[in-house]
Amino acid sequence: MRVLQFVQELWLLTARSLKVAVREPWAVLPNVVISLFFLFVYDAGLGAIGQLHAFAGVPYLAFILPVALVSGSVGGAGAAGQALVRDLESRYFTKLRLTPVSRTALVMAPMVSGMIQLVAQTILILLVALWLGLKLPGGPLAAVAVVLLAAGWGLGFAGYAVAIALRSQSGRTAQAATFVFFPLLFLSDTFVPLALIRAGWLRIAAEVNPTTYVFDAMRALLAHGFETGPLLRGLAAILALAFLTLGLAVHAAQRSLREA
Amino acid sequence: MAHLDTSEGFAVMAAGLRKRYASDPEALRGVDFAVRPGEIYGLLGPNGAGKSTALQILTTLLLPSAGSAQIFGEDVLAAQRAVRRIIGVVLQETGVDPLLTGWEALELQARLFGASRTAARRRVHELVELLSLQDFARRRIAGYSGGMRRRLDLALGLVHAPRVLFLDEPTTGLDPLSRRSLWDLVRRVRRESATTIFLTTQYLEEADSLCDRVAILQAGVLVAEDSPSGLKRRMRRDLIELEPQDPRLADRLLAIARQRQPEAMWDRQVVRLAVADGAAAAEDLLAAAREAGIRLSGLRVAPPSLDDVFLELTGAPGPDRLAGSGS
Repeated sequence: MRVLQFVQELWLLTARSLKVAVREPWAVLPNVVISLFFLFVYDAGLGAIGQLHAFAGVPYLAFILPVALVSGSVGGAGAAGQALVRDLESRYFTKLRLTPVSRTALVMAPMVSGMIQLVAQTILILLVALWLGLKLPGGPLAAVAVVLLAAGWGLGFAGYAVAIALRSQSGRTAQAATFVFFPLLFLSDTFVPLALIRAGWLRIAAEVNPTTYVFDAMRALLAHGFETGPLLRGLAAILALAFLTLGLAVHAAQRSLREA
Repeated sequence: MAHLDTSEGFAVMAAGLRKRYASDPEALRGVDFAVRPGEIYGLLGPNGAGKSTALQILTTLLLPSAGSAQIFGEDVLAAQRAVRRIIGVVLQETGVDPLLTGWEALELQARLFGASRTAARRRVHELVELLSLQDFARRRIAGYSGGMRRRLDLALGLVHAPRVLFLDEPTTGLDPLSRRSLWDLVRRVRRESATTIFLTTQYLEEADSLCDRVAILQAGVLVAEDSPSGLKRRMRRDLIELEPQDPRLADRLLAIARQRQPEAMWDRQVVRLAVADGAAAAEDLLAAAREAGIRLSGLRVAPPSLDDVFLELTGAPGPDRLAGSGS
């Protein structure tokens, strides 16, 4: 009974977040556009280097697509934080706190809503990539797996964004905090495989950066289908991030919901 | 106080409520009250007296530093969820998502309190009718005027037919007409649903017009609690302020005033005293001043303001005044 009630509450709050997101599409659209822009520009400009030996036969479109997907998922996660900040600033959050609804549902709803937006956006980008000539040797299941990886990575970021939003209660701080996205996205094998990265420091940074493993898992799925090694490493990176940031979010929620 | 030991019989009970903030270590300094079911109870005080703090503790938003409180026997600390189910809260500090319509906000609120979709719709219909929201319920909240927002807020607080309704300065910032119509609504809510109403206000007039009982909060302490007529009886005094043209004559003017009212005092460049009959006393004082050769540059005769009530009840300036000039 408790669980059913929780699901019901979570759904009511999530549906409202989605409704509001649709009414204010300018919070989400730029993010989709940027992701598609990455896809078009890098594929158009750098596509030819996919023939280099180091790419091991992975078409450049399949190589660069995960960058567009991950940048999109991080943006979608940021939207979850923004949605929460909007409620904190309009004080609607206080009104919600005065209902008997589960505190966990209150904090999870913007995340779930962000994840739903992110999945829709990932599917859209995948469709555009297919239209650009992406081949899927792994079949539709591989595409589904890619969507799930993007959603998992996004959830990890949503936890981070929500934790910052709750701690700072400020839109600007939450916005500024999303800048970690830049090093995470670009200090990696973003444009070329590790073997082609000349600077030693960047190679080390890429190996430490969990995003690299998410990229690699997606690339393997897109170019070859299910390969255990990269997939497990990607999942491990996602689980590690999600555990860390969701833990932070829960902690922040407990602190700020008890006394604000 | 033995009869207060069981909190069951009371709608709202607070015992020894204290709140210390880092910035304000004495926001609440031990406050007690007991509100009877069906009563309209007002917490009256100036800004910074601790009204909002008390309200936030009673509505589970804030933890007290010490003390306890119950709503119909449910403890605001130990049984937060149970308390939230039976209270409706209209706080100044809360907002509504401006991108929703009033209708949507009401329906969501009803469902978050556990109503089925059909029951929620039925309830929203009722409230839209009760609070005359028909004209704008289907519009987005972003475009509402202050008065519309206040009525929607009240509707949101009533969605789940709470047993106790908390209103935080319900009419602050409203024009006189909207204020009166809100008072009418509050009375109607009590009449039609026997809801207990606990409100805070800075307006003596509001407390007077709405409340069965009023508690006066000053700098974190309750300084009086009575029916409005009881309080007014204590306060039925006019206030006279005399301003000497030459401040050096203040002492002599004060002496004249003290012959008539020993508690007269020199405050903020005027001699002020409270008297039973303002008009007669003013006449008498003017004559005495003229006789003593003191010319006046100002004279005011007025009923007591809230600030004067504090002066009267506590013998000390209200917190606003303390925060002002050092005189």
